[in-house]
Amino acid sequence: MSEQTPGNHNQNGEGAGAGTMKPGYHNTDGQGIAGHGSFFQATDLSQEEAVKATDWVRKHVDRRTIDLGDRMDDVREHMYELEKDGQIIIHRITDQHEPATVQTLFGWDKQVPTKQLWHHKSCGQCGNIPGYPTSLLWFMNKFGFEPGKDYLDETDQTSCTAWNYHGSGIGNVESLAAVFLRNFHQAYVSGKQHGHDLGHFYPLVHCGTSFGNYKEIRKFLVESAELREKVTKILGKLGRLVDGKLVIPEEIIHYSEWVHVMRNRIASELQTIDVSNIRTTAHVACHYYKMVHEDAIYDQSVLGGNRTAIITSTAQALGAQVIDYSTWYDCCGFGFRHIISEREFTRSFTMDRKIRVAREEANADVMLANDTGCVTTMDKNQWIGKAHNQNFQIPIMAEVQFAALACGADPFKIVQLQWHASPCEDLVEKMGMSWSEAKKTFQEYLKEVEAGNIEYLYNPELAYGGKV
Amino acid sequence: MATYAEMQQIFDDIRGDFRYDHDLNGCLNCGICTATCPSAQFYDYSPREIVQLLWTENVEQIYDAMQEKIWACAQCMTCAARCPFKNSPGGLVAIMREVAIKHEMQSAKDVLRPFGRVMLKLITTGNQLSPDMIQPDHFPDWGPNIQKVEGDLQVLRKAIPVKTLQTVETAWEVSLKTSVEMYTIWEMTGVLKSLELMDENLFDVIEDFIDEKREDYEDWLEEQEEEDDE
Ligand code: SF4
Ligand code: SF4
Repeated sequence: MSEQTPGNHNQNGEGAGAGTMKPGYHNTDGQGIAGHGSFFQATDLSQEEAVKATDWVRKHVDRRTIDLGDRMDDVREHMYELEKDGQIIIHRITDQHEPATVQTLFGWDKQVPTKQLWHHKSCGQCGNIPGYPTSLLWFMNKFGFEPGKDYLDETDQTSCTAWNYHGSGIGNVESLAAVFLRNFHQAYVSGKQHGHDLGHFYPLVHCGTSFGNYKEIRKFLVESAELREKVTKILGKLGRLVDGKLVIPEEIIHYSEWVHVMRNRIASELQTIDVSNIRTTAHVACHYYKMVHEDAIYDQSVLGGNRTAIITSTAQALGAQVIDYSTWYDCCGFGFRHIISEREFTRSFTMDRKIRVAREEANADVMLANDTGCVTTMDKNQWIGKAHNQNFQIPIMAEVQFAALACGADPFKIVQLQWHASPCEDLVEKMGMSWSEAKKTFQEYLKEVEAGNIEYLYNPELAYGGKV
Repeated sequence: MATYAEMQQIFDDIRGDFRYDHDLNGCLNCGICTATCPSAQFYDYSPREIVQLLWTENVEQIYDAMQEKIWACAQCMTCAARCPFKNSPGGLVAIMREVAIKHEMQSAKDVLRPFGRVMLKLITTGNQLSPDMIQPDHFPDWGPNIQKVEGDLQVLRKAIPVKTLQTVETAWEVSLKTSVEMYTIWEMTGVLKSLELMDENLFDVIEDFIDEKREDYEDWLEEQEEEDDE
């Protein structure tokens, strides 16, 4: 390859497959700078000068320093004002939650609590991909968290109802807001029954759509006094106000953000399996980083801060190969109503824009995701690909499931891969475990379950407000 | 076919939503939204077109787009993340869908019919999806092996080591009190009413279910009181 253009080219393919974008590298093949015409003149800078120039530009033209104008302000500042005015109560993140500080798209700080978490489950995950929540709880136990004190999983919660809203249009801002506030009020008061203070448990949202929806609704709530007034009436009727006020969380936290901030501890304290031979691709949920995008986590050390750090950071920390593919930005094809009633769209899109590309360009061993609909869509729609001459298959799972496997979790009992349709057995085998042995053990365990000998990650009584 | 006045009313309702000014700030007609839109690749649908119709207040064509086009949107919000004007075409579509329901448009009724099962589950249990909904006969295109271990669904669910997840008819166990609180939300926010407009039969089934659950809850409360008295 010739040295015609400034900067470093991805000449040795380091860090990956086709379409890869390493920070500081242009992804060209000697044809000029990508996206520029032939009139573009090379500067003939030396390697060293080019790096210096690029660094200078980065420093001065960083999107994190751009003037965002008044249409992109920080909702948290308005919340603090409302709290000062005595209008709302903010569920604060305190030292007790042992928060880690990370940065979001525009360089704003976000605190991610790591302890005393209230698991706000996802209906799609629990119903269809239960390995998400089980892997997450398993990690918390592995870190020595005490159920009922360091985390709580209970029955007093509903779905966010946003899947239905985005699918059907039934529902409205008011109903979404009331559901949000009811669930988060419960999180706020849930510690009481277990002998803790108000605000002890901080909500950890498992679902990507819930996460996006709640953040959008929180903005509307903070902005609109009329909406607050309407929902205050409803929450009042439910007995879900504190001192007559709405409780709004300081931060809305997604489970994958917890995984992100814990990734190095996961790798250094818990990892038992070398995954350096595993080629991973990432599909980050649209509703994680495209809805209220200013709140998604970005990190200069992950993909140069050019894409959200979520998922990739965990794969990197575990030492897996991170392979790029050109349609990384596309959605999965879930579509809310489409997965139910426009299935041609869902399966065609996911096969053509995700599975085929990740297979052909990246030769991926696994596609890691961080949301409910994405895993369901990409996992379940591979079989039908054959009918379209698209016989491509890739194991699909959440990054937290992959991380659990790398830390020696049982592929069935904990990671619950039995619910997946994609060829997860290939990945498990490549990681050095015997799928058939694990399956045999699990089938033995099923007999125990039938006999009533069930293993639990926490004392089941806790789910109903009982003591440890 | 609606009269011009009706179409104008529909547009006024869309424009009257307080999110409208958030989601529409002008439009360059650049097409970035459409270029990045998954639905535009498969349907006769373009978020740029929707935004242009709204921006130019073309009430007739807005009405026309509400017959079918708005239901093509996958609500991924990729457009919103990319629009240089910070518009949210997907957010505008959500408003238009709500208004289509409010005006009892036939398109909305047709589109929502196959969604009834999810709706029933959601309204009555507070969960949108459950293990018994994901059985092979509901999704033949997922193939014969959607699971890797055959067996009784109940036993397989009991083998999940988390108590709240050992359910079949809901994604997790939702307490009765929680469900009853949820019904109050549906009532007070007009959601039950819009359901009635869309599908009367479904509404009747849901209403019966809600009454029954409320009675169960009352009974439970009485039992608790009696226990406390003893
Ligand atoms: S991206 Fe924004 S400005 Fe461009 S056509 Fe779409 S809505 Fe209009
Ligand atoms: S939200 Fe709708 S209009 Fe926007 S990109 Fe997604 S499918 Fe297209």
